[in-house]
Amino acid sequence: MSTKRRSRRRFLVDSVTGLNAAWIAANYHGILAAQEHVRQATQAGNLPQLAFFTVAQAAEIEAMTAQIIPTDESPGAREARCVYFIDRALSTFARGSQPAYIQGLRELETQTQQLYPDAGKFSALTSAQQVETLTRIEKTPFFNLVRTHTVIGFLARPVHGGNYNKIGWELIGYDDSLNHKPPFGYYDAQKENLP
Amino acid sequence: MKQFPTSAEVDFVVIGSGAGGGIMAKQLSMAGFSVVVLEQGGWGKYGREQEYNKDEWLNLNLSDDDRLMSDPSRQRNTFRRNDQAKAVPGTHSYGCVVGGGTVTYGSSSWRHLPYEFREASLDPTIPSGTGMADWPITYEELEPYYSQAEWEMGISGLRVNSPFVAPMSKEYPLPPVPLKSSGALLHAAAAKLGLTAVPGPLAILTKPYMGRAACVNCGICSGYGCQVRARSSSAVTMLPLAVNTGRCEIRAKSYVREISADKSGRVTGVIYFDAQKREVRQRAKAVVLSANGSESARLLLLSKSARFPDGLANSSGLVGRYLMTGNGATANALFEHPLNEYKGVISGAAVVDYVPSDAKRGFYGGGRMTARGYQTPLDLGLNGLSPGAPRWGAGYKKALREESNHRMTITCFVTQMPLETNRVDLDPDVKDDWGLPAMRITSTSHPDDIKNMEFFRKKSIEILEAAGAKKVWAPPVSDTRGGAHNRGTCRMGNDPKTSVVDKYHRAHDVPNLFIVDGSVLVTGGRNHPTMTIQALAFRAAEHIAQAAKKGTLRTSP
Repeated sequence: MSTKRRSRRRFLVDSVTGLNAAWIAANYHGILAAQEHVRQATQAGNLPQLAFFTVAQAAEIEAMTAQIIPTDESPGAREARCVYFIDRALSTFARGSQPAYIQGLRELETQTQQLYPDAGKFSALTSAQQVETLTRIEKTPFFNLVRTHTVIGFLARPVHGGNYNKIGWELIGYDDSLNHKPPFGYYDAQKENLP
Repeated sequence: MKQFPTSAEVDFVVIGSGAGGGIMAKQLSMAGFSVVVLEQGGWGKYGREQEYNKDEWLNLNLSDDDRLMSDPSRQRNTFRRNDQAKAVPGTHSYGCVVGGGTVTYGSSSWRHLPYEFREASLDPTIPSGTGMADWPITYEELEPYYSQAEWEMGISGLRVNSPFVAPMSKEYPLPPVPLKSSGALLHAAAAKLGLTAVPGPLAILTKPYMGRAACVNCGICSGYGCQVRARSSSAVTMLPLAVNTGRCEIRAKSYVREISADKSGRVTGVIYFDAQKREVRQRAKAVVLSANGSESARLLLLSKSARFPDGLANSSGLVGRYLMTGNGATANALFEHPLNEYKGVISGAAVVDYVPSDAKRGFYGGGRMTARGYQTPLDLGLNGLSPGAPRWGAGYKKALREESNHRMTITCFVTQMPLETNRVDLDPDVKDDWGLPAMRITSTSHPDDIKNMEFFRKKSIEILEAAGAKKVWAPPVSDTRGGAHNRGTCRMGNDPKTSVVDKYHRAHDVPNLFIVDGSVLVTGGRNHPTMTIQALAFRAAEHIAQAAKKGTLRTSP
């Protein structure tokens, strides 16, 4: 994707949706290619194959996503397979972000080792240590990039590789049926009883 | 679809296929004339609307063929607040597809009120020095065409007897959309505060109508095409009828760069770029310009010639001036129980008491307050939580869970006065992707407009609090930088020195050029322009067809 094309997309995304994020820029054909990856990969086995990350890199990114949207009494980014969404994105429509991830992973390693010299890997830290580490970098472009990709992976349609089993939509109570009938919510159902 | 050779002279070229152009194409072709519609955008999913889907991620990144809005980095534009400032890259974007902005709009279909055509004379709160002026036509003259538009397009709503809503000679053809939770809360708050809440009229079918299905309340609505064709866009109402006459050809991806004129001052046709950016000439007996409230003015300014050195139809020097781009105000709230606003249309109920200006407020201004609340999943997750909500971690997840479906938004559509200094012109430095001078927008709202926005912001907060909100927040008001509601740049009037077109949309300077879109609006109403554009188009088409049949298209009326 050329710089010119990226800036086009950014303009569009900003102006149409008010979403203020250069890095959510993508392109249609790339998104379709990513979908096809997902379809083929999931046919082959239970978990999709990685297309961009090494297994070690994926573990680091997955640990980050799992702190951005943690697993508690309900599933989070890990169960929604956000890391696979990101992996597909980086090998298709978000290829331009590959250097940012490679550089970012290095920064994450540096930060981890500064705080916890014995740990080695971010994914090997305890959850509290991971939160501490990410708090140090939460203002960096890399963290915001991963956050944005995690959220998109969590809440976009499952055909794009994340939001596995509609886990993300379940959290926010979103029902993607085409057809809805009133009453829609509590207050229109209760309208006779409103003040 | 009929295809005309470009060597042939057709009766009409219509530039643009949106709210104005779609109606002009249908009415003129049904009246027996040959029509070529030139649409800058692509086909979208014209004729295959079932392929629109609820995929938010894909919709943000549509292919060039399927995109629905203009692209400010190709249809480049610049913006500045005043003549002293250097223009910077702008984000102005508008509907750009066969069917224009009607394919994706929120579908609000409010009529202007009778006094909005004569506000300059009637309203003592209007400050001096603005461009507020009376229209050359009255509400009574336009009223039958409002009804015609409502019935031909398919508008749902409820006729109400209120001084704050335009009187109607006929019911809406379809009942209003079901009340949403945001609407129920708005009604409840209005009852408490002694205000008037009414269902909004919408170009969305609530029952099957003229061969189209009713809305299924899928929820992903404004900003998307409608896959059941329930949104009454030009693409599913007017244009198929025009094509079916066998006398109308729609050419998509056809970007007009010039309306050509001869030495006698008549237009002879247009020159446009096709999809491969090749120049094509299309001759026509008359041209209807419906390119929208900003692009129509720009095209006239681009169409310079020896006879029209300042641009076509611009002897008044007013082409591009009196631009109104549209202002608003919003407030948000969280409620205890789920509203599930993602089901149903984007906009339903409205509070209308503050539509008229009121001297007691100390400034000129009015507007409509509409209940909304829908957030798409990605919008919610990326930046849709309330201020102060964590951006990641356990707190973020908790906020996602608790705030989703519990939010209501009041969006206010308010007045913006026409000012001569606010305008569209040609940027001296920046070119668009076709090598043409980019559109430059110069705009600063009148101080009263800003006070008015602040008034509506505060009223929105009051209403949300009266509705029992748990938490309320409202972003500070900000002046507009452009958008899809541009109006006023080729204003209508009786005097050729102070207006661009006459009361029948004919350019004062060019007898066979007609302008039929938001650019002819003298005043901007309450920033809900589409229904008035549609009513004006039906009225204009009637007069233009009569003139064409009498043979007076190329002469003065």
